[in-house]
Amino acid sequence: MKQTDKTDKNVLILGLPNCGKSQIFSNLTGEYTLVANYPLSTINIKGAFCTVEGYCYNIIDTPGIYSLHIQSEEASMVREKILSGDVDIIVQCVDANHLKQSLSLTAELTQLSIPLVLVLNALDETARKGIWIDSKKLSYIVGVPVVESIAIKGVGTNRLKQAIETARLPKSPVIFGDVMESALSSIISFFPDSMRHRRANAIFTLLNDQYIEEHIEKIAGAKTLQDIKDTIADLKNRFQWNPAKLLSYTYSRWVDSVYDEIVKKQASAPQSFSENLAKYCRTPITGFPILIGIIIAVFFLVVEVADALTGFLEDLAWKPVEDYIKTVVIDRFWNDLLIGDYGVLSMGVAGAILTVLPILSVFYILYNILEDVGYIPNLTVLSKRIFSKIGLSGATILPMVLGFGCKTMATLTTKTLASKKERYIAIFLIAFAIPCAPQIGLSMSLLGKIGISAFFISFAILVLVEIITGLILNRIIKEDRTQVFIQMLPPIRMPNIKNIAKKTYYRLLEFLKEAFPVFILASLVLFTLDKTGILDALKVFLEPMVKGALGLPVDIVDALIVLLARREASVAIIAKMIEANMLDYVQSIVAVTLTTMFFPCVANVGSIIRMLGLRSAIVIVVVITISSVIVMTVANWCLRLVF
Amino acid sequence: MKDKVDMDEYLEALWYMKENNNMSKAKLVDAFGDDYKEEILQRLINEELITLLEDKKEVSFTEKGEALARRIVRAHRLAERLLFDAMGMSKDFEKGACEFEHTLTEELINSICTMLGHPKECPHGLPIPPGDCCLKAVKTVESSVMHLSDMRIGQSGRIAYINSGNDEEMHKLNGLQVRPGAIIKLHQTYPAYVVECEGANVAIDEDIAKNITVWRIQGSKSDAHKTEPSLTKQKKSLWCKIMGK
Repeated sequence: MKQTDKTDKNVLILGLPNCGKSQIFSNLTGEYTLVANYPLSTINIKGAFCTVEGYCYNIIDTPGIYSLHIQSEEASMVREKILSGDVDIIVQCVDANHLKQSLSLTAELTQLSIPLVLVLNALDETARKGIWIDSKKLSYIVGVPVVESIAIKGVGTNRLKQAIETARLPKSPVIFGDVMESALSSIISFFPDSMRHRRANAIFTLLNDQYIEEHIEKIAGAKTLQDIKDTIADLKNRFQWNPAKLLSYTYSRWVDSVYDEIVKKQASAPQSFSENLAKYCRTPITGFPILIGIIIAVFFLVVEVADALTGFLEDLAWKPVEDYIKTVVIDRFWNDLLIGDYGVLSMGVAGAILTVLPILSVFYILYNILEDVGYIPNLTVLSKRIFSKIGLSGATILPMVLGFGCKTMATLTTKTLASKKERYIAIFLIAFAIPCAPQIGLSMSLLGKIGISAFFISFAILVLVEIITGLILNRIIKEDRTQVFIQMLPPIRMPNIKNIAKKTYYRLLEFLKEAFPVFILASLVLFTLDKTGILDALKVFLEPMVKGALGLPVDIVDALIVLLARREASVAIIAKMIEANMLDYVQSIVAVTLTTMFFPCVANVGSIIRMLGLRSAIVIVVVITISSVIVMTVANWCLRLVF
Repeated sequence: MKDKVDMDEYLEALWYMKENNNMSKAKLVDAFGDDYKEEILQRLINEELITLLEDKKEVSFTEKGEALARRIVRAHRLAERLLFDAMGMSKDFEKGACEFEHTLTEELINSICTMLGHPKECPHGLPIPPGDCCLKAVKTVESSVMHLSDMRIGQSGRIAYINSGNDEEMHKLNGLQVRPGAIIKLHQTYPAYVVECEGANVAIDEDIAKNITVWRIQGSKSDAHKTEPSLTKQKKSLWCKIMGK
């Protein structure tokens, strides 16, 4: 898209978690962000361009926040962006389902001097509940354009584009009581002229906000900061008040008065089926059966459907190609390079497309349905007690549960955890034995070849490993404050077919883009190692460990090597070994469970480095890799006793 | 009587200073400004409520004085709570509370405290010194508020206040509209508490549930009928006692 420097304006999309920001971002820009029906699904600030009537806007998507005051990482990231002065317009996405919660954020936004647009989203859902919201009145009260929207269906996008052009400053900031207002003006009088957003910054200062204090110290010097602090201390002393409470009290009153003006409710709304369903999902007595039911259903669908797909594709696309190459390429070396044990086509291309892609497609569709209907956050309630047993407070649950989706993303969301101890434990546990979505799908498919009991044994080993590791880490690491668990639960929604299709498509595309080259590269590396004899030497060297301790055939080393590059590639190798009857029941379980834990994937390691630094990351990776071998050695012996 | 009120005021001021870890005499003089009277300080010393330390620059409570100051502050802050939450006075509650602190008896203070469910902070967010009743966590039938953790599943209540010293927790709850005045309905207590508030379902820890105090809502099933009349009666009789000083 064409961009001219003169007219570039930065438009920040802001709102509560899970209110549809990313959908609106996607509607405006045509760029797709992977989103989900749960909070934290956007964890980084992301920008893209959008043109309206020849003007070019840089639209920026942000992680969800409840307030500018929360001292969490996302909130500070978003706020830094706002206060940096780079933001010309704020579009607040207001979830009509959570109107009061959203208006509370609006109240804070009125304190900034940035033009604002409100998007009233998810109006279809409130209409169904018998709630009617007067958007014109809201526009009149706040003094900014309000756009009605159903972002998920693309309704309101054009009106939003026009509204961005007419974005205005709010009529007036929300005003506090006399004491607070005079305190604010005396703080403002200390600010240097270059300070932007003076009123908002004064409010942050009054609340002892560290980030702001650092900022003030930077631009105005330590002395001014001390003066301001003295003034505040003096004020607090004189009036014996708590600014945080007064502030929230004022905001609450404002929110209530606005809400009462603009909302009309039908006396009787239809009893919500979805709420009941959500309730069943998170009550242990019904929730665990539902969870197990879901796992079993997913298991059979993945195994059966993916197998059928693989068989179909193999007959249709691979066999003819293989036969053709066999007849045309006679030379041994080239034949091996293309379709040998480590051939670029046989292992690289066919492994990715024939073995892994069908499994991932089926699994992603199912996983995306669960994600889309909003099942995942309800798991946080269901699993709460288990987590608290291993020393993890409520705040850790969501990142851990998200680890079953993607470990990399889950690791990044741990930055919302304030306790260092919990963050470390969570990151460690996520990296260690939580199987991510593709891994679950692949494990299901592999162990499905030998029966569902194998899958549950493997799963039980992983759960046991997590619990024991959690208990040990909880003992070793000493510290600090525990964090509270406050989690908004979205209602269970009907799955949106279009959304699921789109999401599955993008996730698969991502796999093909990222993993496909790695598959080919991995096969080339193995091919080279094989031809140069290094692979055999390595196998001889590792034989005692692999054969003796783990009880696996030596060829599993192939899988472990490619696993360093890409997990899915090892699955392709193990799948072949199981099919060729090279692995018996116990060996299959050991092999699959080992590859689930052995060496975290590259992206996950990257995210660990980002969160904890290089040194901790190396420690974690080494510990995990060694312990996974030890654990599986023990598991091997135990299983041999039984089977 | 006038002297007693003055002395109470001084003790109260000293308590605030103690909370801020500064009990210098200069600070006390500063706090009262032109109204400062040396003779009241002298009387406090004579009655062995306070002593002067370090060249008479630092003031210190005697055991007796500290207990008295604590009681006064407790009465003051509980009265604020009562006026602010129960009577819905948002402006003049401070003034009213100032008059209470001198007249309330220990017994009355404790019954207000119990009625309000043993609040831990005054409306300004300052700590209310706990009394015997808090330590024993006395509950009476007449108690018109209860902790969220004592509610039945399916029961609704209006949040009276939230006992939380943690700002982050307050902001977070506030952002979700779990705040004084909001109506919440309890959906689930195990494995975590799930409440419905302003159209959203929120899961919270048991620790937080214990800190949220709610007013019973009339008509929310049978026990409301039982408590409502006695509640109003008690409120009234309290009110009469207070006003008819």
